[in-house]
Amino acid sequence: MSYCVNCGVQLDRTARRCPLCNTPILNPKETVDTTSPTPYPKEKGQVDQVKHTDLAILLFSVLGSTSAACGLINFFVVDKSSWSLYIIGVCFMLWVFFIPAVLSTKLPIYVFLLLDGIAVAVYCFLISLNTPSRVWFLELAVPITATITLLVIIFAFLIRNVHASILSGAIYLFTEIGILTVSLECFIRSFLHMEFAMTWSAIVLICCVCIDIVLITIITRSRLREAVRRRMHI
Amino acid sequence: MKKKEKKNLQQKETWYKLDLSANVYPTLQRKNFSSVYRLSVLLKEKINPKLLQEAVDMTLPRFPTFKVAIHKGLFWRYLAPNNRPGPYVQKDVANFCMPMNFKLNNRYLIRLYYYERRFSFECHHSLADGSGGMFVLQTITANYLRLLGHKIPNGGFVLDINEKSKKEETEDAYLRYATSKMRPPRTQEKAYRVRGTVEPFYTLNVIGGIMSTSEIHKKAKWYGASITEYLNAVLLYALIQKQKADRPIKERPVKLAMPVNLRRFFPSQTLRNFITMIYPTIDPRLGDYKFEEILTQVHFYMRYYLNDKFLNADITTNAATRRNPVIRIVPLFIKDFTVKQFYSRVQDKQSSAGLTNMGAITVPPGMEKYIERFDIYMGQPYSARTNCAIVSFGDTLTVNFASSIVESDVEQYFFRKLVEDGIHVKIETNRSHC
Repeated sequence: MSYCVNCGVQLDRTARRCPLCNTPILNPKETVDTTSPTPYPKEKGQVDQVKHTDLAILLFSVLGSTSAACGLINFFVVDKSSWSLYIIGVCFMLWVFFIPAVLSTKLPIYVFLLLDGIAVAVYCFLISLNTPSRVWFLELAVPITATITLLVIIFAFLIRNVHASILSGAIYLFTEIGILTVSLECFIRSFLHMEFAMTWSAIVLICCVCIDIVLITIITRSRLREAVRRRMHI
Repeated sequence: MKKKEKKNLQQKETWYKLDLSANVYPTLQRKNFSSVYRLSVLLKEKINPKLLQEAVDMTLPRFPTFKVAIHKGLFWRYLAPNNRPGPYVQKDVANFCMPMNFKLNNRYLIRLYYYERRFSFECHHSLADGSGGMFVLQTITANYLRLLGHKIPNGGFVLDINEKSKKEETEDAYLRYATSKMRPPRTQEKAYRVRGTVEPFYTLNVIGGIMSTSEIHKKAKWYGASITEYLNAVLLYALIQKQKADRPIKERPVKLAMPVNLRRFFPSQTLRNFITMIYPTIDPRLGDYKFEEILTQVHFYMRYYLNDKFLNADITTNAATRRNPVIRIVPLFIKDFTVKQFYSRVQDKQSSAGLTNMGAITVPPGMEKYIERFDIYMGQPYSARTNCAIVSFGDTLTVNFASSIVESDVEQYFFRKLVEDGIHVKIETNRSHC
C-alpha cells in the first residue's frame, strides 16, 4: 500500500497521484495496479438533451399549413395581388427564428444569428415582389439588415468572449447604437441620392460617446464603481 | 363490478403535494444543476445487474412516493404516480449526480447504477431526504440478496414489500409539527465562500476518505465531543485555513450548512423530506481560533440548538410561507422567480460548505456480512464550493467530498488535520488524472 509523502493518507492501489495534493506516487515496492478496477468508473456519462421533436413537428405543420393555405387561396380564389407572400414570409421567418429553440443542434449561436438576418432579408425580398420598384430592397433593406445582423453578432461575441458585466454590456450596446444610427443616415442619404453628411445621427452618436466615456470611467475607477454600486443597489 | 374497479383505479391514482422543503428544490433546477443526492452500498460480491433490476421492480411499488413524476400546477408543483416503464438499472458513470431533467428518464426522479460491487441510488431531493432514500436503498439491497438466496429479515431500514405503504410514510411531517409561536428570522450574515476554478459542464469531483469509526470515536471522545461535532470542527478548521491562504481583503465568518434529521426529535415515519438546516459558525474576525476552541464552539452550538424547541421554531418559519393564504394564491412562476432569487442571493451565500452526517447505519441481523460499507454523496453544489457527506457502517466511516471546482484545498486541509490527529485515512477519488 502506498501513502502520500505530503498528506500522509493511504492511497488506492490503482491511484497514480495523490488526489489531495497531486503528488505522483513512486513506490518501488508496489507499482501502480493497472489491472484491478478503480474505485469509481472511468467512463463519463452524457447528460441527456430534451428532444423537442414533437414541438418541431407541430411548429412545422402549423406554419407550413398556414403558408400552403394562404398560397392556395391567393392563387385560386383571391388572385388580385400576391398578398400571400407576406404570410408565407412571416411563417418562414418564424420557422428560422425557432430553429435553435426547437432543435438542439451544436452549431454556434453566430450561425443562427446570421440565419435570422438572412430570414429577415428574404422577408423583405418577398415584400419587394409586391411593390412597383425593388430599389428600396437593394439600397435600403439589404444594407440595413446586414448592418444590424453584423452588429448583433459582434455584440454576442463580445458578451460571450470578452467581458460580460452589466456595465461592459452597456458600453457595447451604446457603441453599437451610435454606429447603427450613423450607418442608417448614410444608407438613407445614399437612397435619396443626397450628399453624405451627419445631421441627426451626429446627435445620437455624440450622446452614445458621452455615455460610453462615463461608463468606461466607472469601470476603470474601482472606487467610483463601488460608489455607484452602493447607491444603486436594489 | 365495473364501478368498483373504477373506484379502485381512482384510489390508486393518488397524487402528492410536495412537502415543505421539497418545494424549493425544483425551483433551483437549471440546465446544469439539479438537487440530486446519491446513496451507495458496497457489497462483498460483484453485482448481478439482472437480479438487481428484478429486485428494483419488486421493491419500488412499496414506495409510491418514489415511483412518481413531477408536474406543474397553476400554484404549486405536485407528484403524480408514474407508470411508465422503468426505472432501469444502468452502468455507473464517473460524473454521477448528473442534472435530472423532469421530462427525461421516463419522467422518473430516481436513478439506479451498478459498478463492480457497488449499487448506487440517486434521488431528486424533491422526493425524499437521505433517510427516506436509505429505506429504498436498503430494501432493494435486501431483496437483491434474497434473490441471491440469502435469508434477510425485514426491520430497520428494510421494509416489507408485501405490505402496503402506510399513510404516515407519505405525509408531510413538517406541517404536523410546525406549531411554534416563535419564528426566528431566515436571513443571516453572508459567509466566506470558497472560490475556485469551475469545472466544465458536467464534471463532479469526488474525494472520499475511508477511516475507522472506532479511531474517530476515540479521538472525538479524547476532545470531549461526539463524532459529528469533531468532524464539523475539522471542516470548519479546514475552511478557516483555506480563507487564510486566500488572503482576503475582508474576512468573513466560516459557516457550515448542516441538515438535521428531524425524525430524531419528532416521532415521524415519513419517507419524504423531514430535515432542517443549522449553521455551526466560526468568525475568524474575532481572532485566531485553535482547533480545540473551534470544537468547543461547535460542541456548545449543537447542544444549544439541537432540541425540539429551536427546531420547531425553525420549521414554523418555513411553514408560515406555505400557510400564508396570499402566498398560496400567487402563480407558480412568480413563486419560482422569488424563491430562486432569495436562494441565490441570500440562502446560498449564508454558508461556506455543506456537511451532512447520516450517522451509524444499521441493517437487519444477517445482512451485515454481505455489506462492506455505505457511501453518501451530497451531489453537485449549487454554487462553486464543496459539500461533505459522512456515514458510518460498523467500523468503517466514510467522508465524501463532492465539488464542481478544480481545486481540492479544503479536502486537503480536512484530511491532513485527521492524519495529524493520528487517524488512518484511505483516499479514493473519481478524478480522471489520479
